[in-house]
Amino acid sequence: MMRNDPIKHLFIWPAVLVVLAISIFPLIYSLTTSFLSFRLIPPIPPRVVWLGNYTTLLQEPRFWNALFITTLVAVIAVTLQYVIGFAVALALNARVPGERLFRVGLLLPMLLAPVAVALVARMIFNPTMGPLNQLLTQFGFPNLPFLTNGHWALGCIIAVEVWQWTPFMILMLLAGLQTLPEDVYEAAELENASHWQQFWGITFPMMLPISAAVVFIRLIESYKIMDTVFVMTGGGPGVDTETLTLFAYQEGFKKFNLGYTSALSFLFLIAITVIGTTYLVLLRPHLEKRR
Amino acid sequence: MSTRSLTGLSPSARRLAAFGCIVWCFITLFPLYWVVVTAFKTPPGVVGGPTYIPFVDFTPTLQPFIDLYQGIRGEFFRTFLNSTMVGLSSAVIATAIGAMAAYALVRFEFRVRLVSGLAFFVLALGGYLVFNATLGLTRPQSLLLAFPIALVAAILVNRLPLPGPILGNEDILFWFVSQRMFPPIVTAFALYLLYTEIGRMGFQLVDSFIGMTLCYVAFSLPIVVWLMRDFFEALPIEVEEAAMVDNVPTWRIFLGIVVPMSMNGLIATFLITLAFVWNEFLFALFLTNAKWQTLPILVAGQNSQRGDEWWAISAAALVAIVPMMIMAALLGRMMRSGVLLGAIK
Repeated sequence: MMRNDPIKHLFIWPAVLVVLAISIFPLIYSLTTSFLSFRLIPPIPPRVVWLGNYTTLLQEPRFWNALFITTLVAVIAVTLQYVIGFAVALALNARVPGERLFRVGLLLPMLLAPVAVALVARMIFNPTMGPLNQLLTQFGFPNLPFLTNGHWALGCIIAVEVWQWTPFMILMLLAGLQTLPEDVYEAAELENASHWQQFWGITFPMMLPISAAVVFIRLIESYKIMDTVFVMTGGGPGVDTETLTLFAYQEGFKKFNLGYTSALSFLFLIAITVIGTTYLVLLRPHLEKRR
Repeated sequence: MSTRSLTGLSPSARRLAAFGCIVWCFITLFPLYWVVVTAFKTPPGVVGGPTYIPFVDFTPTLQPFIDLYQGIRGEFFRTFLNSTMVGLSSAVIATAIGAMAAYALVRFEFRVRLVSGLAFFVLALGGYLVFNATLGLTRPQSLLLAFPIALVAAILVNRLPLPGPILGNEDILFWFVSQRMFPPIVTAFALYLLYTEIGRMGFQLVDSFIGMTLCYVAFSLPIVVWLMRDFFEALPIEVEEAAMVDNVPTWRIFLGIVVPMSMNGLIATFLITLAFVWNEFLFALFLTNAKWQTLPILVAGQNSQRGDEWWAISAAALVAIVPMMIMAALLGRMMRSGVLLGAIK
C-alpha cells in the first residue's frame, strides 16, 4: 500500500542530495575537463581540444593493453568464482558435516581489506620465504617467478581475486538454493532422474536469474580492480598487469595530466556501460524462456 | 528449506563433497593463518625460510606489535583512530539517511518526470559552462551556483503537466543502485579536483574529516538503500496502519515502530557499510595525504618503505584484519538466522 504524505520528501531528499552532490558534481566537472588539455605539472593553462584527449587515448596501445588485462582478469576470475562458488554452495546446501563452521570461515575473505589481502599474497608467493614455493620445490618444481613474470603475475592476481570473492558467490548462491521449491525435486525423484539430471534440469535453470545477477555484480566490481594490483605488482613488470583504474591513477596522480585522465575515466565508464548492457541483452532471452 | 537436492547422495559422493569443502576451507584459511604466524616472528625467523608452528619451529615474539604501537613505521595508532572515526561516522550517517530513503521508496509513491531529470542535467551542465566561460567565475563557484539553480528548475518542471514518461519508485531505486556501476576512479579523480578547488576558496575538504565522511556516505548509500528496502518490504504493514488510524505522525511511526522492528536489518546493513568503508582504498588514496590517512593506505605503504619487512607487514595487516574478523563472526551469526536472505531476491 502506498500513502501520500508531504513528509515523504523529508525522508528521501537527504540521500538524493548527497548522491547528487557527490556523483553529478564530479561527473559534470570531469566531463568538461575531458575536453580540455589541462596539466598541473608543468602548469599549462587549460585549452579546449574537444575530442583530442579521446582520440589520443584510442590510439594509445597502453590503453588497449589495460582494457585487455582488466577484461582478462575480470572474465577469468568471475568464471572461476562462479564455478567454485556454485559447487561449494551445493555442498553446503546438502548439509555437509561441519557446515556451520564452514559458513563463518568462508565468509572471512570478502570482509578483509584488499590491500591487506594483497600483502599477504605477496608473502605467500614470495620465492625465497613463501610457503607456496617451498611446497612446489618438494614436488620438484624450480623457483617460480610468481610476481616478476608477466603471465605468472596475472595468474597470481586472478588467484587472489578468486580467493577473496568466491565467498560472496557462495553466500548469494546458497541463499538462492534455499529458496528453491521442494516439490519439483520430489517429482523428479519419482521419475527416477539422476542427481546429475536433477542438477542440469532443475537446479541450474531455476538458479539462472540469481546466477545472472550475482555474476553481473561481480563482473562490474572486478572491472574496478585496483588495490590488489597496486600492492601486488604495481602494474608491473612493465605494464603487464596494469588495469584501467591503475592506468588512470598513474596518469592522473603521477603526471597530473587532468584532461587526459578525465577522458580516460569516461572511456572506462563507456566501456563498463557497454559491457553491462551487452551482458544483460545476451542473457535476457535465457532468463525469460525459463520462467 | 530445500535440503533435498543432495541429501539422497550416495555416501561416497557425500564424502567427496565434504572433502571438497575441506580443501576450499583450507585454501581460504591458510593465508590468514600465515599472517597470524608471521606477525609473531623475529626478523631472522622470517628470512630463514618458511616455518609453520609456533614454539615448535620458531619462537614467537611480540616485537612487531611493539614497533607498531611505538609508531616506528608510520603513525599507526592515529591512522587506526582515523579509520575508526571515519568508518563509524559515515556508516552511521549512511545507514540513517539511506534507511529513510528506502522507507520512503517502499511506503510512499514518487513520480518524477523524465523531462525534469534531463532538465536538471542540462541546466547543471549548461549553467556551469555559462558561469565559467562567459561570466568568468572560477570552476567551483560556477558549479556551486549552477547546482541549486538546476535543482529548483527541475523541481518546478516536475510540477508542470509536460508530456513524456514518468518515473516511479522502481526507477528511483534503480538510479540509486546504478551509482555503484560507476567506476570509482571517475568520481574519485573528479572529487579530488573539486575538493582542491573548494580548498582554494578557503574550505578544506581534501585530507579532512568532513570530506572523507561525505564521500563515503555517498559511496555507501546505494548499498544501504538496496538492502534496507528489502527489510522494510518484509515488514507487516498492519501495525503501521493501526498507528495511522490513531493519527500518529509519520516520523513517529518510522522511529517508534519501523526502526525497532527492522533493527536486525539495520545492524547488518551498518556492519556491511562499515566493512566497505574500512577497506576502501581508492578514495582514501586520492583524498587524504597525511592527517586523515586511513589504515589501507598505511598498510599499502608498508611494503615499499624499508624493503620487505614481512614481520612488520604481517603485524600491520593483522591489525587491519582483526576488526573485520570480529565482524565476520557477527555477520555469520546473523546470516544463519536468515536476515540477509531477502536482499538477494
